[in-house]
Amino acid sequence: MTSGEITSVGTAGAAPEHVAGRGAWFKKLPVVHQVRQSVGLQRGMLIAGLVLTTVFVLVAVFAPLLAPYGWSQLRSGDGVAFGAQQPPSAEHWFGTTVGGYDVLSRVVWGAQTSLLVVIVAVAASIVVGVLLGLVSGYFGGWLDRVLVVIADAIYAFPSLLLAILLAIVISGGQSSMWGGILAAALSITVVFVPQYFRVVRAEVVRIKAEAFVDSARVLGTGHWRIMTRHVLRNSTRTLPLIVTLNASEAILTLAGLGFLGFGIEPTAAAEWGYDLQRSLADVTSGIWWTALFPGLAIVLAAMGMTLMGESLNDLADPRLRSRARSGQVAGAVAATSVEADASDPENPASAEHSEENPKGGDA
Amino acid sequence: MRFLLIIPTVFILVTTVFVLMRATGDPITAALGGKLPPDQLAELIHAAGYDRPIVVQYWEYLTGIFSGDFGTTISDNRPVTEVLTTYGTATLELASYAILVALVLGVPFGMVSGYFRDRLPDAVLRILAILAYATPVFFAGLILKLVFSVWLGWFPVAGRVSTDGEIAMQLAGADSGFMLIDAFKTGDPAVVLDVLSHAALPAIALGLLTAGVFLRLVRTNMIGTLGTGYVDAARSRGVKESRLVRKHAWRPALIPIITVAGMQVAMLLVGAVLTETTFEWRGLGFQLSEYLQARDFVAVQGIVVLMAVVVAVTNFLVDVLAALIDPRVRY
Amino acid sequence: MSAIRGSRRLLAGAAGTAALALVLTACGGGSGDGGSGGGGSAESLVVGTTDKITSLDPAGSYDNGSFAVMNQIYPFLLNTPYGSPDVEPDIAESAEFTSPKEYTVKLKPGLKWANGNDLTSSDVKFTFDRQLAIADENGPSSLLYNLDSVETPDDTTVVFKLKSADDQIFPQILSSPVGPIVDEDVFSADAVTPDQEIVDGKAFAGQYSITSYKANELISYEAYDGYQGILGAAKTPKVAAKYFTDASNLKLEVQDGSVDVALRSLSPTDIEDLRGDDAVKVVDGPGGEIRYITFNFNTQPYGEKQPDADPKKATAVRQAVADLIDREALADQVYKGTYTPLYSFVPDGLTGATEPLKEMYGDGQGGADADAAKKRLDDAGVTTPVELNLQYSNDHYGPSSGDEYALIKDQLEADGLFTVNLQTTEWVQYSKDRTSDVYPAYQLGWFPDYSDADNYLTPFFLKENFLGNHYVNQDVEDMILEQAVTADEAKRTELLGQIQEAEAKDLSTVPYLQGAQVAVTGADVTGVEDTLDASFKVRYAALAKG
Repeated sequence: MTSGEITSVGTAGAAPEHVAGRGAWFKKLPVVHQVRQSVGLQRGMLIAGLVLTTVFVLVAVFAPLLAPYGWSQLRSGDGVAFGAQQPPSAEHWFGTTVGGYDVLSRVVWGAQTSLLVVIVAVAASIVVGVLLGLVSGYFGGWLDRVLVVIADAIYAFPSLLLAILLAIVISGGQSSMWGGILAAALSITVVFVPQYFRVVRAEVVRIKAEAFVDSARVLGTGHWRIMTRHVLRNSTRTLPLIVTLNASEAILTLAGLGFLGFGIEPTAAAEWGYDLQRSLADVTSGIWWTALFPGLAIVLAAMGMTLMGESLNDLADPRLRSRARSGQVAGAVAATSVEADASDPENPASAEHSEENPKGGDA
Repeated sequence: MRFLLIIPTVFILVTTVFVLMRATGDPITAALGGKLPPDQLAELIHAAGYDRPIVVQYWEYLTGIFSGDFGTTISDNRPVTEVLTTYGTATLELASYAILVALVLGVPFGMVSGYFRDRLPDAVLRILAILAYATPVFFAGLILKLVFSVWLGWFPVAGRVSTDGEIAMQLAGADSGFMLIDAFKTGDPAVVLDVLSHAALPAIALGLLTAGVFLRLVRTNMIGTLGTGYVDAARSRGVKESRLVRKHAWRPALIPIITVAGMQVAMLLVGAVLTETTFEWRGLGFQLSEYLQARDFVAVQGIVVLMAVVVAVTNFLVDVLAALIDPRVRY
Repeated sequence: MSAIRGSRRLLAGAAGTAALALVLTACGGGSGDGGSGGGGSAESLVVGTTDKITSLDPAGSYDNGSFAVMNQIYPFLLNTPYGSPDVEPDIAESAEFTSPKEYTVKLKPGLKWANGNDLTSSDVKFTFDRQLAIADENGPSSLLYNLDSVETPDDTTVVFKLKSADDQIFPQILSSPVGPIVDEDVFSADAVTPDQEIVDGKAFAGQYSITSYKANELISYEAYDGYQGILGAAKTPKVAAKYFTDASNLKLEVQDGSVDVALRSLSPTDIEDLRGDDAVKVVDGPGGEIRYITFNFNTQPYGEKQPDADPKKATAVRQAVADLIDREALADQVYKGTYTPLYSFVPDGLTGATEPLKEMYGDGQGGADADAAKKRLDDAGVTTPVELNLQYSNDHYGPSSGDEYALIKDQLEADGLFTVNLQTTEWVQYSKDRTSDVYPAYQLGWFPDYSDADNYLTPFFLKENFLGNHYVNQDVEDMILEQAVTADEAKRTELLGQIQEAEAKDLSTVPYLQGAQVAVTGADVTGVEDTLDASFKVRYAALAKG
């Protein structure tokens, strides 16, 4: 593998699903290798995850084309009001909400809001987590110890509570679109930074001890270059997994915020959690369509990400990888396993993953 | 050593919450902003001391905590310790049921899933597990409520006990706050049943989330241990498959389960905020969002301190427990 | 099960503090016939609400939920009888001005608290002295702005010394949240008294006393037979009040009969659904809550501090808003009739309320009219569309505010006369911003302290008002001050009408909705109609079942 791998990881980190839709990038992505590598159930799960996530991204990107109405539109072009809580019909496939909005349109536009949160959350977590991990592992000493303690402390923090506080602080209480998005995204960042931090720091500490670092130094190659290069290369195995968990967590936190009433104002943007909260009273009156569709949207979006994360985790862990029918897949496996200097057949990181994953089911 | 970590953990969380809370406004504006002219509001805020430098307030708060004084809530004038014990018990009860549901569902199905690895039962169970933790707890709660209480009428809609049951408990002088214990104290099976039927849906809603996590964890570890020489050795000795799973593969898989169960506490507390809101279960999570809305610094800080301590202590206990089960664990 | 066993230590702590010292006497004893109250009716009934109680101490709370409880358990000197917004002596024999600055109240003789203590003028003096002394940040002591001191010449006579003369509002203040009389032997003179001490001390002398109390969960009431006031004895001897946090749960319980009466507040969707359910009755009454848009006279379009300041154009903008708002649509679509259109500053049902906005704006019959608005704006030379920044609170006036303002935005924009930039802010920040001239136009609601028109005028339209919106009109100010000291009722009513008329031209605020009080009851419950009146106090004592 060439250094192209490194750049693709960077992009994949920012928004793997986003890029996944475009052919040119597609083949370079780690995820694709894993699809080829996988078999049976794992392949099914990975593909299902990919499909759900791709649909989610496509819906989000093409929301202006797909949604029949605007997210805060109350009357059709000829000036006739939609009316509140209308059951599904030809004009409103999913009916209308208690506020008189078109449910389908809000579900579609809601994907866009969710995607933005995912992008911001993942990008911010990666940048901060990787940077801190590099610094902490490289310099060591008291800085390292303090950062590790803080990371442990944050790990125990109820993320939703943090999100609520941040929602109020960040937006100055304004329930604007970006206020809500940043609140959800940044609070998730705070909770996920320790995860990137741990993985990257562990890699750095390990590589620092490797002999080739010394030899590289003799050759005059800068330390930083070696570090970033090797660490990031080795993390390609772990990071996509954390990214997917990070992403699904971001969606769930945004929805949780909206559900508790700390979310985004309905004329500013469509948000599934808000719609679900407003539909609570409808459910007991036999009006099911206002709750069902935004709820399903949340579940499907989060599930797509989680399915991907699960199967990536399995594939990264040799014990869990489905036993391929003999040699057929062996080549693919060899191709994906990262630089020889880093790959340990028992995959030291895998035990750690399985403990970290549960965080993904939050909210 | 691990134990000492609890102190900085709690300290960091308390400080974060203190600073964030002050940045979000004051309780007086929250309560009377729609009633009083600005100068009167400012007067009240000044009288209560919320306009002093934050460092001074912080110092005052810390010294209070160290002398064991958590203060009195601002918005409803109750001692914080009373709030913590009353609602903490409710949350503890819900969390206990949820963990129970999670273990009952997660562990056996995880074993089945691991044993039938990559075959149909595994596929079905894994998809269900993923569904369980990709579904927000409030949506799951909504669906459960709709199906089992509104349509089928099997379970009560919300609350922890019916009015009759509550009165029976008061008559029996059962006031521990742990409804099931109180119900047993009344000696009336109907009350016990009543309490259990109230707990069923919230416990399932919150428990499903954790059950999914347990399932995949048990599965992973089953696969891991089934593949080790230790199990192979047992198998070659002719140990029956079912016994193999129950006895040999199970024990090493226990440690990660305990570890994760401990880590689930933080998650359960978050889940509890949402579950309690949906099911009218008056616990810490529910109170927390109420107090947040009222900007009740004192109450929010008290609850967060408790949550932080609970999480930190559980993590510590988990480490100890893991070390007891398997001395090789290096903590 | 280890988690459960491990919890015992925690439980031991809980047992001490959360103890309900009082054993419920016979509340659980089912529903036998013929109690002391109404013949043939049930012994007990269950009331459900989503209210929140902050404190049972009148000095420590100033909110609807706490006041609702106080109305059941504490005596008032003056109170509103069933069906009327106007006050009359309650546990008093007489109450009148004995000189311009002296308001004298004579108590009925032989009054007792539920704990056996005598209820005398000294309790009354204690009540008001402690309100002023404690002046709690959550308390209503600010309502006693005109009280100088209280004197007690004898055990049954109380003399209130007032700061300004002939205050016609003072009797109403005595029925407001600051008015419940408390027992000097139970309550603390200088601190808010904890709820449990009040319950343990049985410091009650209203229609009911509390037999067991679990904050915001369940309150058990028992009729207090020592109450001799204007409201009469309770019809149902035992009432349990159940507190809900989620309105849809309350709805389901009233539907299946576990709750007999559901009071504040079911969601509009639920109420509409219940109207079609034969098992329950939906009862509507007038409500005291109003919703209005406040304009900041400095920062609104063409406001005084704007570069293009022009009072005429500014007024035209406000009037055009009043023309365009379709109140019926708001009441129907968003609130399903749980709110009703409001055409004045004083809500319908109160003495002196008129409806000046109905004729002056829109189509003259209460509907919206875009042509009228366009004409008004054109005449004043306003260029359309007018850009308007409109703010609302998404968390203080209920979850429907979002829908309410989305619809208002839609109505204002429908004919191209306005471009509305709608924003929402969380309540604490909102409260600060609105009085710091940040918002040109914004949503507010008002819950009255007492059921008199004055409470809808004085706080809003005097120079020093709580809106802080820089509105000044000397004529209005003079009339408001005058009505407050006019003893002649007919003359005062006329003045109130003139104030509303004048204010309708200025439109410092544009009122548009009035909250109705809605109760849902089981089919066999009676008496709700009697107490859903313009006093906005719901008395459980009026309710009966069977």
